[in-house]
Amino acid sequence: MAKRTLTLCMLAVAIGLALLASAQDRQSEKPAAAVAPATTASANAGRTPVHDDAAERIEGEKRFKANCGRCHLAPEKFPPRMMATILRHMRVRATLTDEDARLILRYMTQ
Amino acid sequence: MHCIALAMILLLTFASSLRAQSEDSDSQRPVPIFSAGMGFITPFQGGQANLDPLISPIFLVPIGDRWLIESRDTFESDFSQPPGSNTFHGVIQKEVDYLQLDYIANPYVTVTVGRYLTPFGIFNERLYPIWIRDLQSDPLILPIATGPSNASTGAMFRGGFAISPKVELNYAAYYSTLIAVSPVDSDRSAGGRVGIFLPDQRLEFGGSFQHLLQDERSNSFGFHFAWQPPPVPLDIRGEYARSRRGSGYWIESAYRLSQIAAAQDFLRHVQLVARMQQFFVGALPHEVLPSANTQEFEFGLNYYFQDNLRLVSSYGRQFSSLGNVNVWTVGITYRLVAPIGRAESN
Repeated sequence: MAKRTLTLCMLAVAIGLALLASAQDRQSEKPAAAVAPATTASANAGRTPVHDDAAERIEGEKRFKANCGRCHLAPEKFPPRMMATILRHMRVRATLTDEDARLILRYMTQ
Repeated sequence: MHCIALAMILLLTFASSLRAQSEDSDSQRPVPIFSAGMGFITPFQGGQANLDPLISPIFLVPIGDRWLIESRDTFESDFSQPPGSNTFHGVIQKEVDYLQLDYIANPYVTVTVGRYLTPFGIFNERLYPIWIRDLQSDPLILPIATGPSNASTGAMFRGGFAISPKVELNYAAYYSTLIAVSPVDSDRSAGGRVGIFLPDQRLEFGGSFQHLLQDERSNSFGFHFAWQPPPVPLDIRGEYARSRRGSGYWIESAYRLSQIAAAQDFLRHVQLVARMQQFFVGALPHEVLPSANTQEFEFGLNYYFQDNLRLVSSYGRQFSSLGNVNVWTVGITYRLVAPIGRAESN
């Protein structure tokens, strides 16, 4: 009985996630960067979305120092295609937010 | 029944992505990467010298916009000199640290399936690699609730998002199944971790929980924090963990001498580290945890030639009812990163 309940709960969670992702896809425009395909304003509740190039660079550097420095020294910059992979890996490993990953990638590839 | 349910869950979760895959510009299209952490560490414990070479290859294979296959294996040995022998002997140990498929479902959720590092505390997932850790010895409490080889096998939901302009929340929730085959063994368990990150203060704190679904079916819990005060190159981190097999804590600080005006060319490469930790035995025995209450102080001195190449050294003193010992460590660590394929865009 408990296993069935658990299975139903997991199915409900999965359906919810699928619906959420589906709605997300309809809302979002073409992703700006490979690392952060699903950025929306709702994902950064309360945070002001950064769009201006100079402002993005400053914000990206700030978030780079705040997030990457939590665990290791600042690495050197790699080519953009490598940085895209590294940021995707770090997004998962360090549970970076969507916006943080996007801005850090932008900063590291400029 | 469970296989069918799991398949349905994965299918439902991933299905929406199939039509959402979009074309990236070539300059931003992620390329597969090979990376490796490697090192040669020489610990001297209680007057006994060991030679510990280690290499830990990592493969990152991105697929489309939302998928990532990642793996890390570890090949290491602990060569020691048997009494009366002039040569060092040891065997190479192989471990699959993780082999996982990640799917970034949306800004809030990433789904991971396969073998993954158990998200209990912060050391195991984030600070474990040889080129990242400031002191080469593991914290005494690391084996608590992380399972065999510090990994679990199953499925995990995780993510991070801002809940206000100054506060971010991150989480991980997982289920792991029992596998008894080395080197991919894991415990049957369920658990999770929640953390709060304050970017402006560079302060993170949180807690972890695990319920073991085998043997004594016990609970474990822990707390962690990490703080980098913005004005100074200082890292302060710590963890506490408690289980029926033991409990304890560690707290560590690391300081780069980059702000000292004198001899800057030299001192900015130097890092001082200190760690204190205690372990208290629990009601049940454990294969890896110390068998007696233990207290340890360690001081480290690291020199960074580059961000990926450094000399490491440390001295520690371990106190326990089994005997007090000195622990010296010297070594070198290196991290390699290389693309598999063309990294530059046209």
